[in-house]
Amino acid sequence: MNWGKYVLGALIIGALVHFALIVATPRVLMHVAMDRIGAGGDNAWLISDRVTAASRQIVRPSPDFAYSACVFDLSQGPVVITATPWDAYWSLSLYAANSDNFFVIDDREAHYGAEITLVRRGTEHPEGASMVIESPDARGIALIRRLAPTPTAYDAARQVAGEDVCASVTHLVG
Amino acid sequence: MLRRILAWLVAIVAGVIFGAASAWAVLNFGGANFTEHYGRWVYSRAAGSTAAGPYTRAIIAREGLLALSAREARYFSLYEDERGRPLSESCIYDLNGLPLDARWWSVTLYADDNFLAQNTDNAHSVDASRLGNDRAWSVRISPVRGAAAHWLSSRAARRGFIVMLRVYNPQRDFLPSEQSLPVLTTVSCAGDPP
Repeated sequence: MNWGKYVLGALIIGALVHFALIVATPRVLMHVAMDRIGAGGDNAWLISDRVTAASRQIVRPSPDFAYSACVFDLSQGPVVITATPWDAYWSLSLYAANSDNFFVIDDREAHYGAEITLVRRGTEHPEGASMVIESPDARGIALIRRLAPTPTAYDAARQVAGEDVCASVTHLVG
Repeated sequence: MLRRILAWLVAIVAGVIFGAASAWAVLNFGGANFTEHYGRWVYSRAAGSTAAGPYTRAIIAREGLLALSAREARYFSLYEDERGRPLSESCIYDLNGLPLDARWWSVTLYADDNFLAQNTDNAHSVDASRLGNDRAWSVRISPVRGAAAHWLSSRAARRGFIVMLRVYNPQRDFLPSEQSLPVLTTVSCAGDPP
């Protein structure tokens, strides 16, 4: 019996499985994160409780930030995302389904808050939108970080976060 | 005929096991190959970047999902003490730092599962808004505070915990180096000879 072809077959299958798992890992982890964050529905901000030892949604959370997260879904059209300004560091970042951070804006660039219209890459940009960002995927995560290292600062940040918007344009128009 | 089918079945199963095991090994032990080292600090310039390769992306996603790109923030992780031993709850450490060329920084302690240690000490993190970024600073890392002015609690962090330095809005001339990053020193460990 010629064992060479079986060994070669095993090596080829091993390489394919290996690479498939490496490529799939960030997508699977993002999918799990989107399921957890978007449990209450897509295109809506979830304002996280203050990070404590009980916070176990995303690995390595920072207890110095007040986090708001929104799972955006562009399958029904563009999504409008706004971030209300905060009197210390804040940033709005967007993550693709493979975990890439494809956009970030912070308070140095947007003193008075940010308003973006998110569209799927390759689709038409809505008329009149001031800042249009193209997403490589139909679904992903928007995340706002507000520096709030004390309980008092966190309470204030949470109040500000209530004014943020993450909504489908269709929904806003309708 | 039956021997051939059996041989192919064995080859397929062996291939799947080999592929899965090697991927697991890369994700768990391969991080060092995709990172830079400054002393004992481990840094991945590709965190969050759209230019990250599949291996870097997979490792970062596992250890720091939703990381920001290097333009916005830099993440440095410390897994070992100055002698290369895993960080342990049974030891007492001092972390001494200098001002960093950045707008803000923080140091956070995570247990070996990459989440905050399961304790109620409310001492998981220290940051520049409390310690300042215009003078040298020192933080005690130990399971009990004692007389430390600034403290990170390692209670319930077990063996193999992680100290993570976040540097936000780094200046253009921010250049991490063994000299510019905080230095960890072991004060004592339970069981060490006196």
